Amino acid sequence: MDEQLHGLPPKPLEIGNLDTPYSSEYISSAFIFEPEDLVPFHTAWNWQKSWQKKLFENIEEPQAVWILQHPSCYTLGKGGSNSNVLFDSRNNPLFIDHVDRGGEVTHHLPGQLVVYFVLDLHRYKTDLHWYLRELEQVVIDLLQELGLCGKRVEGLTGVWCGSHKVCSIGVGCRRWITQHGLSLNIDCDLKGFSEIVPCGLHGHKIGRLCNWLPGIRVSDVQPIMKRLVLERFRLRLKK
Amino acid sequence: MPALSSTMTEGKIVEWLKKPGDKVGRGESVLVVESDKADMDVESFQDGFLAAVLMPSGSTAPVGETIGLIVETQEEIAAVQASASVAKAKESVSLDSSRSSQAPKESSPSQAKQIGLQKEAIEKSSSAPKTLTSQPTRVVVNDGRIVASPRAKKLASQLGVDLATVRGTGPHGRIQAEDVRNANGEPTSVPWVAESNAPASIGPVSLSAITNKSENKKSSEPLPGKCFGTPGDTVSFNTLQEAVNRNMEASLSVPCFRVGYTIETDNLDVFYKQVKPNGVTMTALLAKAVGITLARHPQVNAACSQKGMAFPSQINVAVAVAMEEGGLITPVLQNADSTDLFELSRQWSDLVKRSRSKQLQPHEYSSGTFTLSNLGMFGVDRFDAILPPGTGAILAVAASQPKVVAGKDGSISVKRQMQVNLTADHRVIYGADGAAFLKDLAYLIEKKPESLAS
Repeated sequence: MDEQLHGLPPKPLEIGNLDTPYSSEYISSAFIFEPEDLVPFHTAWNWQKSWQKKLFENIEEPQAVWILQHPSCYTLGKGGSNSNVLFDSRNNPLFIDHVDRGGEVTHHLPGQLVVYFVLDLHRYKTDLHWYLRELEQVVIDLLQELGLCGKRVEGLTGVWCGSHKVCSIGVGCRRWITQHGLSLNIDCDLKGFSEIVPCGLHGHKIGRLCNWLPGIRVSDVQPIMKRLVLERFRLRLKK
Repeated sequence: MPALSSTMTEGKIVEWLKKPGDKVGRGESVLVVESDKADMDVESFQDGFLAAVLMPSGSTAPVGETIGLIVETQEEIAAVQASASVAKAKESVSLDSSRSSQAPKESSPSQAKQIGLQKEAIEKSSSAPKTLTSQPTRVVVNDGRIVASPRAKKLASQLGVDLATVRGTGPHGRIQAEDVRNANGEPTSVPWVAESNAPASIGPVSLSAITNKSENKKSSEPLPGKCFGTPGDTVSFNTLQEAVNRNMEASLSVPCFRVGYTIETDNLDVFYKQVKPNGVTMTALLAKAVGITLARHPQVNAACSQKGMAFPSQINVAVAVAMEEGGLITPVLQNADSTDLFELSRQWSDLVKRSRSKQLQPHEYSSGTFTLSNLGMFGVDRFDAILPPGTGAILAVAASQPKVVAGKDGSISVKRQMQVNLTADHRVIYGADGAAFLKDLAYLIEKKPESLAS
């Protein structure tokens, strides 16, 4: 009986003009990892790569963010130029070449807060420049909370305080799933930056927050960073 | 050169991951493009062979430029390599990949597909929840005079889109930047709507706008309405729209009536908050509530047939989903009364995903015995629905909103309320049947929403 009645012709039925979303439950779910110890660059890189892989395989996987510090090292993006490296990089264990992110050479070291994001931009906006601006905005908001005025420089990526660049950004993306992210100098030693032309920018001075806020530590900034990252990308923490 | 951002005008080829002659699998990275401080792995959207690299590593190319050619078979490689230089010279402004099949072929005799704007390719290869609306044919829609915004013109030249083929949705058919992007195969920035009975929230597109004003997150600006044509035009229905039309017209011969009810949702909202972290959606909750109530009111699950009143053996709740390109579809939650709430949520998420990619089997959208139409997410306070043929009733669900309510004892309080409106075939379902069903549904939602989980 109901075969006849409810086995309706294979034509869609009607209803009001409504737009029902796909399930949005998974969209905002994320993990944030905050390792206490310094994390070698390669270790953090591998974490991101394997998380990215998880997202390739299942689009509903939670996203992930790492907030951490690296021991001293130099990294160069795939498209970066060796000419911005002013020391002999050959056989230098501190030097890591061919990192799959955009941008030139950069320097990581303790006292610098690094934030890595494995986000699926399909859940936000598939627009790389938009994403870079959002990362900058996290840092600008953070500086504002600390009473500093962070600003962008037209045509460049990163965040400046006055004439000093305090935040560097480099992103790698595959199928719109990101890795790498941003670094913010808090109270790190700036000597190491003289060994390179940071981000390939001649004549740009590197700064750190403790120049304006004496005594500020990474541990003061980290909770604010975490909160602002969660807010900006509307992340809901997985337990 | 793929557009990796709406503001990207050119990109640097960081590295070719494949050499000419290499086999390229679908979804395999072919090259890395850098724009600003971001690298993107660009993937092939089909199996084939990289026949030619027209722009070497380290070079910079404007968006839309042909940077390499992919062919389907090994035999075509040589032919393409021979004509590649010709192709490069001829196609100064490239076409995107979705149009490559219609691109003039005289430049390369073989079926060379360009790695043109491969943004789309990337979208396709990642099984994203978003589905692309690909226009199978591209026709000239403007007769001679082209009116376009400056931004649209700029974008069109950047993306290599011919404005004569773009349908304008602005005032008097003016072409807007958005139209150019749509014509170029980029997904429309339609809102996805949070699945809840809360006021509509705008999707990822305006994320920054929303988060910038954290104090008024809820009051997002309304979006302009969708339109399938240009003023002055007549646009033919697509297949799905035609099918909906037939079903709508069929309902005219059904003696329908409507009966409404106001349901308090405070308890339901509390329960929803509890189960939401487990992946339960509002759609699943409502379908489950309706299913349980239908089990107690089989008359409302019945339909009119030539032989009499037909009582289905199952309670299958269909839920309407609008399709982006027009028309709508009603994926069905089978046995909504007896299926576990979490399973219903999973099924629903799967059905919606597949309906957007047009992968639903007929029984998955045509076996409903009762239909649910929810416009609550838009903040709609009341509406009524048209009865789908072959069924006896459909329930229109509006938004849950806080209201000042007077109690029987004269006390005043604020409660959340939503209006529901049942449309029913009077030959099978009478006013008293509908009213009893609604009263029971309201009781379930108001008094014991937690029983939905059992």
